[in-house]
Amino acid sequence: MPCRSEADASGGRPLRDLLMPSIQRGSILIALLAICLILSLMTPNFLTVANLINVARQISLNGILAVGVTFVLLTGGVDLSLGSLVALTGVVAATFAHPGDYPVVVPIAMGILAGTACGFVNGTVVTWGKVAPFIATLGMMTIARGLALLVSGGRPVSNMSPELTRLGGELAGLPIPVLILLVVTLAAGFFLANTRMGRHVYAVGGNERAARSAGISVPRVKLFVYTLCGALAGLAGVVLAARITTGQPNAGLGYELDAIAAVVIGGTSLSGGVGGVGGTLLGALLIGVINNGLDLLNVSSYYQQIVKGMIIVGAVWLDQKTKA
Amino acid sequence: MTSEISESAAPVLEARHISKAFAGVQALSDVSLTLQAGEVHALMGENGAGKSTLVKVLAGVHRADAGRIVRNGQPVTIGSPHEALQEGIAMIHQELMPIPDLTVAENVLLGQEPAHRLFGWIDRRRLHERAERLLARLDARIGLQRKMRELSVAQMQTVEIARALGRDARIVIMDEPTAAISDREVDSLCEVIRRLKARGVAIVYITHKMDEVYRVADRISVLRDGIHVGTYPAARLDRQRLISLMVGREWAAHAPPVLPSAARGDVALAVHGLGRDGVFQDIDFQVRRGEVLGLAGLMGAGRTEVVSALFGLQPADRGEIRVHGTRVGIRCPDQAIRLGIGMVTEDRTGWGLVPSMSVRHNVTLAALKKYCRGPLIRHRVEAGVAEERLRALAIKTSGARQAVNQLSGGNQQKVVIARTLLAEPSIVILDEPTRGIDVGAKTEIYGLIARLAQQGKAILLVSSEMPELLSLSDRVLVMREGRITAELDPRQTSQEEVLKYAMPV
Amino acid sequence: MVFSFWESDNVGWETSVRNGVRGLVVFLGLAMVGMGCGCNRADSEGSRGTESESGQPVIGVSLLNLSSEFIVMIDRSMREAAEELGVRLVINDAQRSAARQIQQAESFVAQGVDAIILNPCEVEASSPAVDRGLAAGIPVVNVNSETRSRPTAFVGSRDEESGRLAMEYIAERLGGEGGVVMIQGYMGQAAQIKREAGAREVLDQQPGLRLLADQTAEWDRAQAMSLMENWLQSHGDEIEAVFAQNDEMAMGALLAIERSGWKGQIVVVGVDAIADGLQAVQAGRLDATVFQDAAGQGRTAVETAVRILRGEPVEEEVFIPFRLVTQENVAQFLP
Repeated sequence: MPCRSEADASGGRPLRDLLMPSIQRGSILIALLAICLILSLMTPNFLTVANLINVARQISLNGILAVGVTFVLLTGGVDLSLGSLVALTGVVAATFAHPGDYPVVVPIAMGILAGTACGFVNGTVVTWGKVAPFIATLGMMTIARGLALLVSGGRPVSNMSPELTRLGGELAGLPIPVLILLVVTLAAGFFLANTRMGRHVYAVGGNERAARSAGISVPRVKLFVYTLCGALAGLAGVVLAARITTGQPNAGLGYELDAIAAVVIGGTSLSGGVGGVGGTLLGALLIGVINNGLDLLNVSSYYQQIVKGMIIVGAVWLDQKTKA
Repeated sequence: MTSEISESAAPVLEARHISKAFAGVQALSDVSLTLQAGEVHALMGENGAGKSTLVKVLAGVHRADAGRIVRNGQPVTIGSPHEALQEGIAMIHQELMPIPDLTVAENVLLGQEPAHRLFGWIDRRRLHERAERLLARLDARIGLQRKMRELSVAQMQTVEIARALGRDARIVIMDEPTAAISDREVDSLCEVIRRLKARGVAIVYITHKMDEVYRVADRISVLRDGIHVGTYPAARLDRQRLISLMVGREWAAHAPPVLPSAARGDVALAVHGLGRDGVFQDIDFQVRRGEVLGLAGLMGAGRTEVVSALFGLQPADRGEIRVHGTRVGIRCPDQAIRLGIGMVTEDRTGWGLVPSMSVRHNVTLAALKKYCRGPLIRHRVEAGVAEERLRALAIKTSGARQAVNQLSGGNQQKVVIARTLLAEPSIVILDEPTRGIDVGAKTEIYGLIARLAQQGKAILLVSSEMPELLSLSDRVLVMREGRITAELDPRQTSQEEVLKYAMPV
Repeated sequence: MVFSFWESDNVGWETSVRNGVRGLVVFLGLAMVGMGCGCNRADSEGSRGTESESGQPVIGVSLLNLSSEFIVMIDRSMREAAEELGVRLVINDAQRSAARQIQQAESFVAQGVDAIILNPCEVEASSPAVDRGLAAGIPVVNVNSETRSRPTAFVGSRDEESGRLAMEYIAERLGGEGGVVMIQGYMGQAAQIKREAGAREVLDQQPGLRLLADQTAEWDRAQAMSLMENWLQSHGDEIEAVFAQNDEMAMGALLAIERSGWKGQIVVVGVDAIADGLQAVQAGRLDATVFQDAAGQGRTAVETAVRILRGEPVEEEVFIPFRLVTQENVAQFLP
């Protein structure tokens, strides 16, 4: 069969492609819209501008983490240390954020730097130490939690300068965390679709040995994704601290699992090589809408957990069903 | 035209009017096939002709889009490999799937381990008895307690076949069983097949090797471009006619062309004293620009390991490598590629392709840097180059965006070659480049090797197909047990002589 | 104690810089070396073995979770009391796990401690920890929260009282009329159950108070913030007061209210009187919190254990009273 249309050969990359590479995210989008429809029929408070902004704000943190962990999952790895990194970086940022101490960039930079350093350690242990990602990041999960407690003395670090807490506020009517999430997602989508390193991330996840024999430095790619994931966890930690106006050493419990759930719902394969940040954003939205909707409907805490679990599994099941 | 011989006995299995398409490419259209008990039925055809697809439909791996499967006169639906087994259909895969850390006995009886009557745990004594009986039926002598990972490919195949027997399979499908085994092992496989026939088992046999077809097959079905060309008794179909049926045109002679010696240039690659513990030792040779150096030897002689070391996949422990006169250390493929070395690996699914990526992205993977501005990929340039390469190598796709794992084996191999050449290497290593490739594609690759040599590239060719190696190479090195045992001039040697140096003494 | 300066309460400019820099140095160092320095306070005391050279009585302490500020205060007051009374403490952190708490009780028994102070993680699941100690003839004092198994003595507060105090304050502020939401703690924990019971007691007596919604935020500030944001969407101007079962969650609700422009229209009340909460009360942001005397509980627990060891009579249940903190009296609670 001859090669097809010229349009195909042109290789142009529209925005749709950038956010939804290679696989169709249709079924998740449909699931999301269906849930939104049901919720808007059940409660008048769901489909309001204020509430939708509210949902966006609530997913921003999980979204930022999920974008980071998308990179890691794309290479076939996993990062379990995210929740602890959020706590550690939030505490580090808060420590530098007492009013009058430093300009506001310092706590932000220190938080992101701390996350980056931890991510770098994760990547080093995985590549150079050849420790399985599950174990390496499980170790970091505990270490970072311990460090967060150590740095904070086991207590919330409060008394943060208003310059930093403004990061949890709004800009032109939109919550700043949402703007950060949008920028991060777009940048990550652009990066994956248009840079060599982005392509290499997919190659390493798709077939590590083939990537190696194509001259790709697999350790460099892995080091990169874990470091990036750590950096984004740092960013998320700073945003969380700004939002709740303290650095909490016990914050972020279980965040890594929410983030991984968002990524997987978004169609990224746990074995790597397939997926993208567009799907991840949809996955985070799906989780966020469910959380918000159940609260609006005043569903009891016990049922909430059951419903959430069923919807997560159901969404992934639906996705695989439609892909097959 | 389904069959030319009379079908007195009822067929054990019939495929009727099977059609199947993948991502817009019609892999099979209206193919019918009948199988008699106790016959070896060879499926022949070029790569992409639909042989693997057909047997995968029979074995429940794929579901046909249209058509029916009839077993002993009864229509059946086969939705999974498990259901196929229940119908007595077992498949010995091209890529074997044993469990490497279980023993031979455990693998033979995998999934039907005899349980203790009272307690339900595995009854080891009966497990061994049954495994031994099954292997004895095949006259195979493999230690029951050995771990699967210690076995040779041929032995693993025998275990798989024994497993099929253990499930009382009446139809055994073998997809290129001899692709990865040595000639001596082919002999014992033929013996196994003879014994299966004697028990009334029907065998579907896929291969690209002509000699083998005539050695084992009773009937031959030819597929071309997803269409059933015809089924013939092997005794009444000569080679010329078979080849012309496969390629769809008359074929003058199926012998690789003897290459004109390209003008030799300077030494491109020189190796001295290369060694890796327990694998190969004291490897010395040189390859000049425009020269094709052949590496002959049996399976496990260390040829693949030597070329892998040169490409940095599994670096050597000692020795000296010079590229264009400069001494270099090669620790990873990245370095090798930057030094102008390209390699087409032996195992295209394991080391060659990224299955989840598109054809286009696979083609440009190793040379992506050339199509970038800074860190950014220039998609238009990349796409153009990929399309051009697909055309140049006649790779059949439904578009460059098709996932590479939807291509046939031959086309996949060509993608790997395209990828390697796109990095414009001056030294090209080809490890079994024509394994599992149809006649037409083979000829294309022979021509390509000749062209590359004429362009002044130094070529290192590893092949187990002796006629191919002898006719393509300017010089041939023979390896045995990790050492070079001879350097021969292919124009003045014979297959027998090569074998003499290759066989362990 | 190498890291004692982390605990200094008044973090001045200089110390904060030092803490920050040192925090990063420590963090980087530890990432490289691992936890090699072994300077954890609890460990350094626990590793010495129990039979102290001076013949001091040894008390094994298993705490719910040293990453909670309230527990850290109990921890500190126990250390002070122990020093004054001449006993040695072996303090373990159960990190919220009842299973770990049971193991810790078992190893206290194995070490042959003289008494055990338990700060239970859960009502049911931590009971075996009490049983293990009592079975070995070692007196057990529960502090702060209860277990199903009866210990030798209990020191704590009636958690119902805190819920009642908070809700009574809300009733008073609203004049007995209005919509209320309740943010629950971790469902099933003693504190959550009792604080809810106390609050509902008042709600039953005050027919004018309507409970619009109640939902868990698992003691967590960020979760409470999200929950409150959602409630503001669904109930909006109906909400006149929020009762959060701890101050962390109250702070989260408060932030949500402030950020969405409802400030001053909703009464917010928490429990625990943590530093952040007290500051917020002082600043007039948080309307009230309920002071639970962590220091009093920790100190009394050690005193009770020591009296048991000396053979002096003790009450089986010692209750440290709660106190409502509002802007008028907040000064006496601030450090």
